[in-house]
Amino acid sequence: MTEGRLSLYLRENGYRLAGRVYLFLGFIFLLLPITFLILFSFQRNVYSSLPLQGWSLQWYDKLVEDGVLFDALLNSLYVSPIAATAASVIGFLAAYALNRFVFPGRILTATILILPILIPPLILGVSLLGLLSRLGLHGQLYSIIIAHTLLLTAPAMAIIQLRLAQMPPTLEEAAWDLGANELQTVWRVVLPWALPGIAGGWLLAFTFSFDEFIIAWFVSGFDQTLPVTVYNVMIASHDPSLNAIGTIVFGLLLLTLLGAELLIIPLFMRRRRA
Amino acid sequence: MTDSSVIPPSNRSPLKLTFLAPPVGYYAIFFIAPLAFLVVLGFWIVRDYQIVAEFSVGNYIDIFSQFFSRSRFGWALVQSIYVAVTTSVFAVIFCYFLAMGIVFCVPERYQRLFLVLAILPFWSSYILRLFAWQLILAQKGVLNYVLGGLGLDDPLIITNTQIGTRIGLIHYLAPILIIILYITLINVNRNLIEAARELGATRLQAFWRVIVPLSRLGLTFAFGFGVIVSFGDVLSGMLVGGGIGQSWLGSYPLYSNMIMADYNSYTNLPRTAALATVMVLIMVVMLVVAYRMADRARQRLA
Repeated sequence: MTEGRLSLYLRENGYRLAGRVYLFLGFIFLLLPITFLILFSFQRNVYSSLPLQGWSLQWYDKLVEDGVLFDALLNSLYVSPIAATAASVIGFLAAYALNRFVFPGRILTATILILPILIPPLILGVSLLGLLSRLGLHGQLYSIIIAHTLLLTAPAMAIIQLRLAQMPPTLEEAAWDLGANELQTVWRVVLPWALPGIAGGWLLAFTFSFDEFIIAWFVSGFDQTLPVTVYNVMIASHDPSLNAIGTIVFGLLLLTLLGAELLIIPLFMRRRRA
Repeated sequence: MTDSSVIPPSNRSPLKLTFLAPPVGYYAIFFIAPLAFLVVLGFWIVRDYQIVAEFSVGNYIDIFSQFFSRSRFGWALVQSIYVAVTTSVFAVIFCYFLAMGIVFCVPERYQRLFLVLAILPFWSSYILRLFAWQLILAQKGVLNYVLGGLGLDDPLIITNTQIGTRIGLIHYLAPILIIILYITLINVNRNLIEAARELGATRLQAFWRVIVPLSRLGLTFAFGFGVIVSFGDVLSGMLVGGGIGQSWLGSYPLYSNMIMADYNSYTNLPRTAALATVMVLIMVVMLVVAYRMADRARQRLA
């Protein structure tokens, strides 16, 4: 009897152990690239591989000297915040309207608004280049802003909708009841309520835009965003200063992650509890 | 009280039009119009390096007349679908077990930390992660150096094959799939699992007969998402897969890479538009299939 229990105990812990080993290996896989990116950015190796040849900051120096990747980073830091802001504004308007109003074609509208994340960006890139070049709006930084705003509205809207759906309808009703007009209600009641959702949506949109390659590749011209320039550098030659820019970008996005951890994940968690 | 005093000014609200106009307007100009124009553009031609608005089916004849022969668009399409489906299968299995590990093997108060770690790669640039994968998987890369140290003399050839493409893609998909599957698993009723266990089911039986059927919706969604993203992705196939990656089908590029390369070398936008239109059609078929599958999963749950 006791022996049976003992073997059962061992077998159950065996599963748990296997689970932990799997988790460990899985997380190694997930964190492997970023680890080596950071490691090689501080190494002397001209070809980034093992064995290590000693610590150095030379690739960061080269980054500043060349300037190409640095300029691209600045372009990205110009394009992405604007696109994310535009997308958040449009996304909020759409989320509020879809959340509150009933109108013919509501479901169709909601579907079309979310559709850009389901269509491969490659298709959007070719389409937008087709139209923008016809209008003479292609090949500029603002072309990327126009295109990204379209791509980002859907995810921003989705996050804001999560938050708006949690708002009790009585909140708005109370405001109307107390004499606020509708615009005042949106500005003073709905907007403050939606703010965590808007901020989360903005961060998500910013990250998407910052990381987006193929649309920017199609519609951009001489001035490019970071992923496009990284691509051009990558296919031209092996350049370890890519490790350095990767480390910098990771540091930047880590700050965004901190914000997202505080804003987006609670939205999912709250739903679970409900 | 509230019923009588407050009439929600829903349908005659002035805000309805004001709020709907910007999103609908923006989408009409920069989403519907470009997609419609894409189809039209596919029927135009290029003459003397200028796009000419002249109806012609030349692009499509050009594409389909040599679909499986010289330009091999057909093979690229087959390769793309093959890689997308297999990638998604591996990614879902990998992430499903990781999510299970987090749900069942990690104490609840640490689960959030593990989730944050799982999403961590998502917040570093995708293209730079692919660069790192190049360094790790290359013939003289990190992996082969380690394997060499362990006594394996023949280096593994992973870059410039579709296996490399898949590794890049799985790594890209993992954070999102882990979140989807974590939410799925956390919503599986623990009482049902315990009931099955107390009635004599082994862990394996409880897994196959309780946990898997109850996560079918999440699994289907994750799989569909994986296929769509992998099918549309250009970077992993280009950078880790080497553009014309080897698989057992042969050395064919992914269809998405072919579109990109075609535009890059000919700058013939109408022809690129025609190629993209073909891709859209394939996507529509895949979405219909995915929707049917999700629907069936939902019905089986009900």
